[in-house]
Amino acid sequence: MAKDRLAQVLEDWEAVIGLEIHTEITSSNTKMFCGCPVGFGGEPNTRVCPVCLGLPGALPVPNEYAVEATVLAGLAIESTIARWSQFHRKNYFYPDMPKDYQISQYDLPFCDGGHLDVQVGEGDGAYETRICVTRIHLEEDTGKMVHVGGAEGRIAGATHSLVDFNRAGTPLMELVTEPDIRTPEEARRFAQKLRLIWLSLGISDCSMEEGSMRVDANVSIRRPGETELGTKAEIKNMNSFRALHDGLAHEIIRQAELVESGGHVVQETRHWDVGAKRTSSLRSKEEAHDYRYFPEPDMVPFQFSEEWIEAVRAKLPELPDAKKARFVEDLGLSGYDAAILSADISLSAFFDSAMSIGGAAKAKAIANIMLNDLAAYLNTEAISIDESRVTPAMLVELVELVDGGTISSKQAKVVFSEMAATGDSPGAIVEIKGMKQVSDTGAIEQAIDRVMTANPSEVEGYRGGKTTLLGFFVGQTMKEMRGQANPKLVNEVLLRKLG
Amino acid sequence: MSEFDVSRLTGAHIREGVVTGQFTAREVAEATLARVEALEPTVHAFNQVTPELALEAADAVDSSRAQAIADGLDPRDVLGALAGVPAGIKDNMNLVGTRTTCSAKILENYESVYDCTAVRRLLDAGAVPIGKCNMDEFAFGSSTENSAFGPTHNPWDLERVPGGSSGGSAACVSASMATISLGSDTGGSIRQPGALTGTVAVKPTYGRVSRYGCVAFGSSLDQIGPFARTVEDSAAALAAIAGADPMDATSAQQAVPNYVRAAAEGATGGAKGLRVGIVTDLLQADGCSGEVRAAVENAARIYADLGAEVGEVTLPASAHGLSAYYIIGPAEASSNLARFDGIRYGHRVEDPTDVLDLYMRSRAEGFGPESIRRIMLGTYALSAGYYEAYYGQAQKARTLIKQDFESAFKDFDVLLTPTSPTVAFKIGEKSADPLEMYLSDVYTIPVNLAGIPAISVPAGLCPSSGLPIGLQIMADYFAEETMFMAAAAFEAAIEFDARPPLRYESARGTRAAQEERR
Repeated sequence: MAKDRLAQVLEDWEAVIGLEIHTEITSSNTKMFCGCPVGFGGEPNTRVCPVCLGLPGALPVPNEYAVEATVLAGLAIESTIARWSQFHRKNYFYPDMPKDYQISQYDLPFCDGGHLDVQVGEGDGAYETRICVTRIHLEEDTGKMVHVGGAEGRIAGATHSLVDFNRAGTPLMELVTEPDIRTPEEARRFAQKLRLIWLSLGISDCSMEEGSMRVDANVSIRRPGETELGTKAEIKNMNSFRALHDGLAHEIIRQAELVESGGHVVQETRHWDVGAKRTSSLRSKEEAHDYRYFPEPDMVPFQFSEEWIEAVRAKLPELPDAKKARFVEDLGLSGYDAAILSADISLSAFFDSAMSIGGAAKAKAIANIMLNDLAAYLNTEAISIDESRVTPAMLVELVELVDGGTISSKQAKVVFSEMAATGDSPGAIVEIKGMKQVSDTGAIEQAIDRVMTANPSEVEGYRGGKTTLLGFFVGQTMKEMRGQANPKLVNEVLLRKLG
Repeated sequence: MSEFDVSRLTGAHIREGVVTGQFTAREVAEATLARVEALEPTVHAFNQVTPELALEAADAVDSSRAQAIADGLDPRDVLGALAGVPAGIKDNMNLVGTRTTCSAKILENYESVYDCTAVRRLLDAGAVPIGKCNMDEFAFGSSTENSAFGPTHNPWDLERVPGGSSGGSAACVSASMATISLGSDTGGSIRQPGALTGTVAVKPTYGRVSRYGCVAFGSSLDQIGPFARTVEDSAAALAAIAGADPMDATSAQQAVPNYVRAAAEGATGGAKGLRVGIVTDLLQADGCSGEVRAAVENAARIYADLGAEVGEVTLPASAHGLSAYYIIGPAEASSNLARFDGIRYGHRVEDPTDVLDLYMRSRAEGFGPESIRRIMLGTYALSAGYYEAYYGQAQKARTLIKQDFESAFKDFDVLLTPTSPTVAFKIGEKSADPLEMYLSDVYTIPVNLAGIPAISVPAGLCPSSGLPIGLQIMADYFAEETMFMAAAAFEAAIEFDARPPLRYESARGTRAAQEERR
């Protein structure tokens, strides 16, 4: 197992990892420098115009929403927002780049510094570590190349290549971390937490599958206690959190084995092959470009006033850490439940919506249903909470039916399944199915009498001290009443009658 | 065939004639196209003549006049400010229905798919597009000899260059193959050919006119501007194309003043109280011909006679103008021209072995020598390790040049220099020595680096050669009104006839000559 091997390697070596995370601002209606719509897929080269195709004479006009979204992202991770910033041109030739330069940022990014505190591991081995962020800048995404004739769409062996410029010019945020990460798990936790924050801000759909969030990593190894950095390799094509973890793990092992066997790491870009479970060399840094950055003359520099920055800050929503703390401190959830609910934007929004309908007193009961019945249902159906028939109002109603004694907790499970299947309200389901819990002491007494008459030897046994038979009587009584008896009352009456 | 001589008509005359029904826009267009047919073979001002677009535009003007009358409206209020005025368009500005070649092989067959804002505005004002004008390839040059499609000839002397890079735009107006035209000016590419062809040529304040749709050379320097045979026409043309454009983030938000009125005030009111500074250090520079210097000194005397307060000023940092310009311009150009790579449009090499081969050979085949020189210069200047020493220093020089102007405009309303150090030179005379050619723009370049507006107006003919000399009048940021006022006052005082003698017509026995005789 790679996991064990990694643990072994990390006893002798320290890994040093820095991440570069590109996130498309998919919430922007338009591209970074033109009015074309932003979106995934579509017929090739249909969402294009003279500007994002880089036709002769076309000029870029910055998308103010995307600038604000980047600043919002910076504020969320406590970056310093530049008071004066500008775009630069990054010059290099590649067919997916219409102008053969990318409008990006160089020495004056919108956001400088920042950090995230990341929880790693569970239980006794759990710890928190701070990962510092170097910067966040804004740039335009490139088009997409489709290589034809080679294996798996890769360029090696291809006979020709096609370019789709639909993605070209999509606003793209690039976050760079300091080399503060020491394990693949820390890297994964950082990326997951960052994604959650971006989702809370509503700036991107952060789909790693569709490439709207892309994580590249720089990784090197050194002996524990050393302060010099080793030669790093850049790993690309890690298209999921799992791939990020596994790609890094394999690369760390590869580097360690290479050095231990007398070799040395060369600075290069490596491609994570999820099928083969290995990284392979994409290009060496000897071919590295001189990007010839210079200030983008087609746009005037940005000057951000303190007032404007504060106005953006005022738009910051509740962030995941604060949300989790609120769930524990104000709503009394366990740390575990709060962590799960706050780790998913849709789940926490659902929960908060239920809270606003049903009130904080129902927090534990609602969380309980969500993390058990609802989670199981979503899992079975393989749907997201947004696609579920169950609404927050329905859960509140369900909890009210239990609290009010109308149905038992056991019945609630049946009602949940029914409402998940039909979308009917819990009240209607209880009505239709005649599931009302019987709290009529007379009816319960009659049922118990019938049970006791039918089981004289058990009655005798109980009275002779075999009190564990109480469960038997409860079960029989419930059966007698087709599960609709109030179990609390059944207990009370049984204890009285048997005693 | 039309009865009248379009060379005697200014844009203002044409609009007036069309408005009052003295003649139709179609008649003007036809007469102009006939003149193009006659003169173009010897002048070669155009890369493409667009008779269909011209007649369509002219007919549109005529029918809106008819409609206005039918609706009981005064055509004067309905027709655009340039109604019926024939216009040439530099071949680096996009116009649907035309090729936009930049006089480069790499874009030889490039068809525009959208309109340049300035061109659109010109045509919306009623101008009639006659054709796309020849230029130095990608606007790199001062003679139009760098065109991949052959040089343009100066209508004043066909053996000579019309200047450049907007040589075709200047020559077509000079030869009355168009009444106005658009050029672009990065380091003097409107004003210098204006001077060499005896036309009025305007480089507006950076940001005054949208650059959208004009193929970029030096993005921080480029500005579109008009050519005309009178200051009034140039003012009307600038008024039509100026103003903020949501498609150009560097276009200025300022309202566009009434430039035509400013020109009229200058023409009638003289220059009383105008503070005119003659830039002595530039005027005394080596390389400036004595006759050019004398013409500028004479201009200063004329201003004094017109009631201006004439003084002297120096712009010492402008000595670094040429060096700074030949860093910043090529640096930006090297990046702007990267997109011409044979991938999406333009010239692509046959049978490339791989993408790198495709890039390298397409570009090597598609670019002319001067483009390659500028791309290499710019690439070098931006390279790691050289950036600060070149680009960084050039930007510092640029700041100093700006500060010189800012301080000069505290004391003066306008500044005078020659536009070009010499009159039009012979074709081939400077093409062997790029540095010699670069010196042609020594007076115009500081203006682009600072971003201020300037106009070149004819200052008379050179006594020895009989060729036009241009006076450059520079004004403060967005002070085009002052600039037009000063230019119109001078123009009125010297009574220059901007029409070349067309000596070549009889000499060459062209159809034009036959036409003249008829």
